[in-house]
Amino acid sequence: MSDTTHAGLTIEITPGVAIPAHLVGEVQSKLAYVDERIRAAEVAPSGDRITLQVQAEEDTPQLQAELDEKVQRVIDTMVKGAFKPKIQVLEDHLQRPTPYNQDPMQELVARGEVSQEATGMFSLGPLVTRLIDYFEDQFLGLADAFDANPYRFPTLIPAKYLERVNYFSAFPHSLSFVTHLREDLDVIDEFAQHAACDQHGLNTPPDSFAQVQALLSPAVCYHLYFSLADQPLPNGRLAATAVGSCFRYEAINLASLERLWNFTMREVIFVGPKDYVLKNRENARQHMSQVLEETGLAYRVESANDPFFIGEFRKQAAFQSAFQLKFEIRARLPFEDSTLAVGSYNYHQDFFGRHLNISLPDGSPAHTGCVAFGLERIAFAFLAQYGLDVRDWPASVREAVHG
Amino acid sequence: MNSQVSDAERVQALLAEVFQVPQEDITPDLAFGDLPQWDSLGHMEMMIRLEEQFGVEVSADTIAELVSIPAILTYLENNSHSQAA
Repeated sequence: MSDTTHAGLTIEITPGVAIPAHLVGEVQSKLAYVDERIRAAEVAPSGDRITLQVQAEEDTPQLQAELDEKVQRVIDTMVKGAFKPKIQVLEDHLQRPTPYNQDPMQELVARGEVSQEATGMFSLGPLVTRLIDYFEDQFLGLADAFDANPYRFPTLIPAKYLERVNYFSAFPHSLSFVTHLREDLDVIDEFAQHAACDQHGLNTPPDSFAQVQALLSPAVCYHLYFSLADQPLPNGRLAATAVGSCFRYEAINLASLERLWNFTMREVIFVGPKDYVLKNRENARQHMSQVLEETGLAYRVESANDPFFIGEFRKQAAFQSAFQLKFEIRARLPFEDSTLAVGSYNYHQDFFGRHLNISLPDGSPAHTGCVAFGLERIAFAFLAQYGLDVRDWPASVREAVHG
Repeated sequence: MNSQVSDAERVQALLAEVFQVPQEDITPDLAFGDLPQWDSLGHMEMMIRLEEQFGVEVSADTIAELVSIPAILTYLENNSHSQAA
């Protein structure tokens, strides 16, 4: 079924199998990658209807058939035989009273605190920057509690590294590739004389670019694991911390400060025996529980899974859930009655130890875990709960940000 | 044939097929991580095949418990409705 509007076509698709409630959001997020003509996608909460906004001149049976086939393929792969996850809530402070219930973006833009450069890319002004600095101070306090060593990592990450940890099969949809012009005088001259941007982007022929050797890094902790690869872990255990720019392409899901292409992540990372990693992950959660209480954030900590792509989603998500590998700090967004993941407590078992040959003194592979915070997201969630008037902020935050 | 022995043989054959290794590599006490192929994806593929071949229901709780051949056999003994070989 379809309707034509001035913005394009609205196409409704009936899933071949009903999408269970716990997969509605996951399937909807993956529809962004089904077809470039899809400008918006929504799965009804009941899971029995999908509505697509499609950029196309006219509706044709071929268009309908193409989209229907692709959407059904997504549903079949993600839904059929899916294991129902076990949701575990470790903390629930979602009802903590907060004074604000508007979307802060409009005021942030009006005050010059946020400036959008392109989809998923924002510059931040002084108030938001100071607020992020406040949260950074809290995270550095967490790192200090574990005597975590500071590290700095590059923004680029070699393709061969990501291949080694199966990143290409798990998260192909969100990769951001880096290239450069081929070392060829004619190619460079041609580019210098004719490079221009149209509404789709740079007009340069694809064969002007060199083969991809590096990508924009999707996470901070990977760099630490790669630096430890193929050798025994010194002292048998390690706590580290680093902050870095991270990149995850999310197509039409990119929205405001909630979902950025280019964002900043602070991580506290643990490498060592299983018990060491799990104990520190739990200690970190308890430490942050006190910090977030002082900050006044309304949030919940609950089990979660990473956004694996369609092919691996069903198995990997179920595995993470069953083994309680990931817990997210989900902050309340009062203006849309939803929650936003602003941080996570992660345990990777010995995945990186095995794939990267990081060994413990007894020869067994090291276990790893990390505690990660999205700096723009946690600032956005705080502003969504407390607004931009610092007089309404909890005293500890107000004094730290405004003196 | 004793059904316990039968289940053990069937489980070993299933794991050899899922992990694509000779059946002699599937030792009776094999556990998660003992083979490179018994990783997260391998484990979940094995869970799906257990459901299909033994008619048992695998839940989020049991996924984390069935991490060795002895654990799988105990679970099958307590939960299987089937299907002697």
